[in-house]
Amino acid sequence: MTLTPTSLCSADGCCSGGEVIESLGPNCDSLRSRMALTQVSSNKCAGGFQKVFEHESVELKCKMKFAVYLPPKAETDKCPVLYWLSGLTCTEQNFITKAGSQLAAAEHGIIIVAPDTSPRGCGIEGEDESWDFGTGAGFYVDATQEPWKTNYRMYSYVTEELPKLINANFPTQPDRISISGHSMGGHGALICALKNPGRYKAVSAFAPICNPVQCPWGQKAFGGYLGSDRSTWEAYDATVLAAAYSGPQLDILIDQGRDDQFLSASQLLPDNLIAVCSEKKIPVVFRLQPGYDHSYFFIYSFMSDHIKHHAKYLNA
Amino acid sequence: MEANRGGRTFQRFSVDTNESLHFEPCEDTPSSPTGIEHDEDNVFMKEENESEMTSIRTRLQGKVAEMENFAGHLEEIFLTVEENFGRQEQHLEQHYNDVLQTLSQRHNERAAGLLEEKKSKMEALYNQLLSCGQALDASKELIETAQEIYRTPDKRVFLKTVIPIIKRIEMFAKEKVELTLSTKLEFETLPADLSDVKTMMDSINAIPAPSAPVINPQMSNSATQTSLRVCWSLFSDDTVEYYDLYYRPVLEDTPADGFCAPHVTTVKVKETHCTVTDLLPNAQYELWVTATNTTGISPAMIKQRECTSCPDAALIRWESGNTNPVDSYTVELSEMDTDGTQSTVTESIVAVPTCQCLIQLLSGRRYLISVRAVNVGGPSDKSDPVYISTSGTFFYFLEETAHPCLSISEDGFTIFYGDEELPISAMALDDSAFTRCVAILGDLIPVRARHYWEVEVDEGTEFRIGVAYEDTERSSYLGVNASSWCMRHILSSSRHKYEFLHNGWSPDLRITVHPVRIGVALDYERGTLSFFNVNLEQHLHTFQCHFRNYVQPCFSLDNPGSLTVHNAIEAPEYTFI
Repeated sequence: MTLTPTSLCSADGCCSGGEVIESLGPNCDSLRSRMALTQVSSNKCAGGFQKVFEHESVELKCKMKFAVYLPPKAETDKCPVLYWLSGLTCTEQNFITKAGSQLAAAEHGIIIVAPDTSPRGCGIEGEDESWDFGTGAGFYVDATQEPWKTNYRMYSYVTEELPKLINANFPTQPDRISISGHSMGGHGALICALKNPGRYKAVSAFAPICNPVQCPWGQKAFGGYLGSDRSTWEAYDATVLAAAYSGPQLDILIDQGRDDQFLSASQLLPDNLIAVCSEKKIPVVFRLQPGYDHSYFFIYSFMSDHIKHHAKYLNA
Repeated sequence: MEANRGGRTFQRFSVDTNESLHFEPCEDTPSSPTGIEHDEDNVFMKEENESEMTSIRTRLQGKVAEMENFAGHLEEIFLTVEENFGRQEQHLEQHYNDVLQTLSQRHNERAAGLLEEKKSKMEALYNQLLSCGQALDASKELIETAQEIYRTPDKRVFLKTVIPIIKRIEMFAKEKVELTLSTKLEFETLPADLSDVKTMMDSINAIPAPSAPVINPQMSNSATQTSLRVCWSLFSDDTVEYYDLYYRPVLEDTPADGFCAPHVTTVKVKETHCTVTDLLPNAQYELWVTATNTTGISPAMIKQRECTSCPDAALIRWESGNTNPVDSYTVELSEMDTDGTQSTVTESIVAVPTCQCLIQLLSGRRYLISVRAVNVGGPSDKSDPVYISTSGTFFYFLEETAHPCLSISEDGFTIFYGDEELPISAMALDDSAFTRCVAILGDLIPVRARHYWEVEVDEGTEFRIGVAYEDTERSSYLGVNASSWCMRHILSSSRHKYEFLHNGWSPDLRITVHPVRIGVALDYERGTLSFFNVNLEQHLHTFQCHFRNYVQPCFSLDNPGSLTVHNAIEAPEYTFI
């Protein structure tokens, strides 16, 4: 069943996408279908609704699911949006069932959008071979190498297609968005914020991969998606991007479990990012949390601090 | 009409005034020598008599008026005497009540003391009795045992057992029995300290405030076109230092709004009369007199540097300013409008027993607050006011808590830790001063609400800032114990390190941009203490703690440098999300 956009929005017609389509004439039908969403599930949660939708993605050229949490405030007012990027092997489900974000989102009146971590079912050879490359490991880049470059365009999906889709279908304040994520998603959040100065009102991360060009995960993924020319990798490395950043002031909150096995395996490398940010005077508060690991138990423990951090800027 | 009063003279009514009312004896009018009226014939005589009668009548009318005045005067005196009596009686009663109360209290204390002494003596004696009894029993037992053995028929058994017994008896005999009493039988009588009762008794005879003087009615011919002679009197044994004479013209048309009251002129006078000059001719004037002596009290003095405030309240502290005892204080406050003018409405809080008062106020306003001391002589003049603004929280440092190496700026908001070595003599200070940590506390108002202040530091300053309980150990470092919470900055080889210390523990944090202006937000209800980089509006850390008591802001410098406190700032929105 396809739900038309109007049934999901408030009466004053926030479906700017729909209105734009009307004026486009003959192409409007196909465009409208591209903006169309299919609701997969809906559960009442913390006074609002945790929903999952599916759509045909233009960038990724496949069906994609994403989760949306609508706080109680969304019934009457437009709300700011927090984009959450999950880590390796995750789908849109992990965050909404394990992170405990809904209560804080409801309290602060924030919509949280959580996409999947890669295109799925594209039938690319080798996509399911490793858990840290291919399916579930999009690394939020736009691939330039075959056979990945047609579908693996997560960077554009997250920064372009998804926000347009969200703004067309939900009661949002389009200029009030922020971004966060965990591990590979933390890397995604940092690079999106650094590559789009002024676009995101706030950014935070849990155990992010801070310097992918220097760690095994990053080298494997970038090598596969971007080729062997390392200079092309730097455009997607938070530490490198921070060193060259110029734009409106950021305020980055990072939580890292001290007992995180990937920290000790030198996959995350937060010290490199901190050193660069200290040098470049980019405000970061980095908290090393004793006893915590890499799991969603760790994320759950500090999620409300992060949402408060985002709310400060989104609701200002 | 003839006035015949017989031949009596009138009593003279003199009441110790400067200008007594005189009554001269009335002259008898001589009766007609012939006794026969010859009206028609003696026209001139009749006219003469008539004129005489008129003059007599006029004089009599004058006298009547004078008498009426005098009667009124007497009434006033009567009332004054009543009043004086009433006051004296009340005064006396109160004073004697106080003395009696104190004496009765003393008696109770002494009686309780005696009872205690008796109890302890009895206990000691009883214990002695017990031990004597025990000794007695032991001896008896020993004797019986000896006797039994002595009676043993079997000589061999006797020989075996007799030696130890003999030994025991020998030992026992050697023991000296304590036969002296353990306590004295007499009770100690301490000399009674009734010096304060004596002071109270003496003060009963203190000089009461003088009663109001009474102005004499205006004498005829005592005024000229532009001057006036006023006299008054005091009808009691009052001691007076000086009089104040006030006068103002009585206007024909009183203005509708009553605001343009004519100017009141005051003259200080030592005598009981005064000639007032520079008056307007053909005008009416209103005059009154007050008498003043030393029984009144001086106004209190507000201690500016010990007043603190927050959006909902202010704490005002003052010095009594009097050597005589003060009964209570009255605090007066009036709000100031946005243009700086003082509101005409003054609120007061009366019967404040001590030299401080916590007043509830409305936030975001400005107030002028002053204090009066009150005793039996009435309230004093208003003290110099203190200006309180209820925007944000405001406080000064508690100077007596400062470590000897700290000095405070003139304005009271910056502390300096100097490089110089201090002499040992400077080290031995207040009990409340910090001795190891170069620290100082702030004087935060004791109100369980939200408070916010900012601290400005230099790049290289190593500091600790936060809050601590008032009784936090002065020989310990801030954050090391459970009674203080602070943010600590350490500079090691140009690398900035930060700790958020409580009970010696800190989370592990990295902060990339060094804060030079730190916002501190305290929320008693939520139990949080948060720190912010004010310039970036960046949240640094929040302690979650339950404050069982009031806390004071605390500041310390771990290396020579300075820091400045900025307060009375309205907390930014993001500080209390």
